[in-house]
Amino acid sequence: MSLAHLHLLLNHFPIIGTAVGLGIFIASFATKSDELREAGLVVLAAVALLALPTFFSGIGAQGAISKDPTVSSALIERHEGAATLALLFMEITGALALARLWQRRRASTSLAILIFAFVTAGLMARVGNTGGDIRHTEIRTQDSGISAVIHHFEPAPGKLRDLILINKWWWAFMMDLHFIGLALLIGTVGILNIRMLGFAKAFPIAPLHRLMPWALAGFGVNTLTGVLAFIGMPNYYTFDIAFWLKILAILLLGLNAAAFYLTETFRSVEQLGPGEDAPPRAKFFAATSLVLWFAVIALGRYIQSYSGTIEPQ
Amino acid sequence: METSRDFFDPNSRTTERRPNRRCYASEGSSASAACTTLPCKADPRSLNTKNRSIVFAAMALPPVFLRSIEASSFSTWLRESDSPFAFYFILLFHTFGLALLVGGNAVMDLRLLGVERSIPLAPLKRIFPIMWAGFAINAASGLLLLIAYPTKALTNPLFYTKLLLIAFAVWVMTKLKSRVFDDSSLDEAAMVARGRPLAKWSLVLWIAAITAGRLLAYTYKYITYPC
Repeated sequence: MSLAHLHLLLNHFPIIGTAVGLGIFIASFATKSDELREAGLVVLAAVALLALPTFFSGIGAQGAISKDPTVSSALIERHEGAATLALLFMEITGALALARLWQRRRASTSLAILIFAFVTAGLMARVGNTGGDIRHTEIRTQDSGISAVIHHFEPAPGKLRDLILINKWWWAFMMDLHFIGLALLIGTVGILNIRMLGFAKAFPIAPLHRLMPWALAGFGVNTLTGVLAFIGMPNYYTFDIAFWLKILAILLLGLNAAAFYLTETFRSVEQLGPGEDAPPRAKFFAATSLVLWFAVIALGRYIQSYSGTIEPQ
Repeated sequence: METSRDFFDPNSRTTERRPNRRCYASEGSSASAACTTLPCKADPRSLNTKNRSIVFAAMALPPVFLRSIEASSFSTWLRESDSPFAFYFILLFHTFGLALLVGGNAVMDLRLLGVERSIPLAPLKRIFPIMWAGFAINAASGLLLLIAYPTKALTNPLFYTKLLLIAFAVWVMTKLKSRVFDDSSLDEAAMVARGRPLAKWSLVLWIAAITAGRLLAYTYKYITYPC
């Protein structure tokens, strides 16, 4: 499978997924169903995660078709700008969805989620449209009306890249934040996982679990700095096998977290007090989480030496 | 398609390995002014001093010392091997150690600073072995990284700053252990009262240490001994 193939496979998920997640979320208000609301939020968070590899695979897809003289680079850049803006709103929506899932009883973020998911769904439709325009001459139209207005807010890919590479100290600062985020994330996730595995059983689980917003804050900082680094040097990361394996490990961590929280496993450990042992299923998820997070660190470190390991098409 | 690897690649070994041209003596000429801080060859005739032999020894020491480390087969292998178990393997353990050491400290510091007070304080003592394991991993991997690039590290003032920051941070860590966690007569309130100022320093110092470490990749003057 090539990166172009991956891009064409993944690109449906953020577009359809955002609409589905938003639809379920709205339906939950009509039915006053907590389960439905949580389902909608989980879909939005999952789509926000899947949007990352979709975005990252775009450069590979661009490389695959850019030699074709019938392909317009202006149309590709328009698509890339649209995707960048949509990704920003998608990730904010995902972060809000996770915050709402965390709060459970407080509804203050619901309105913000409605607004951001709605805007994201619209922006995603535009990303799909501009992407389709690259190859499908039969649907191609000029930007007009609302899409012309949106286009005004879309960053020009080259300008954004220049801004991120404006000097090496800004780059160094982003990398610094990436490492500080790493320490915060591993510290907080690590202590919870270690407790679930049966070490340091003197801790009750619930208070350690309340550190998870700090872990998510670390993950948020690293997602932001990571995406900015990618936008700054897209070819450096795109054709790198270690980078893609790192992204795969992050997606697997999302799956691991979903399996942990959405099955009965989380409920089986939530109330464990000092000295109480977690069931084997919980230990499995804790071990997987630890192994995958350290794999993410290791693969991240190997990006430098594996740059250029994927042949451009 | 732009070639970002060549254009701007602060992280890449392709640029990290690129020698600092300013500091290379071209054929037949002496090193340029930018490089005079690192002596290539100590010349006793140029020394107009009584302690000629001592100064001569001092001038000869850095080139002999740094060059002989770099010329060793182990240092060369670490630096130049394409094996995934050479330089980047060490670097990855340096990051694992960072995660254990600073991650553990972060949880402890945040708790002492008032985050999630429902976490019982006394059992946090159990994090110390993890943090010490992280410290041991990083001392060992740090030494290996130093063997790989001795000139790069030792000619950068920031490297000494980083070591100093780590020394302070570890000192604060031992104080946290002895003053807060080893004193079993303290209740939680007293532990927090004693631990708070230490926790603040700990957080600041570890963030500063990470920052100094990261900046080493962008501030070095020489990559290997220039002559």
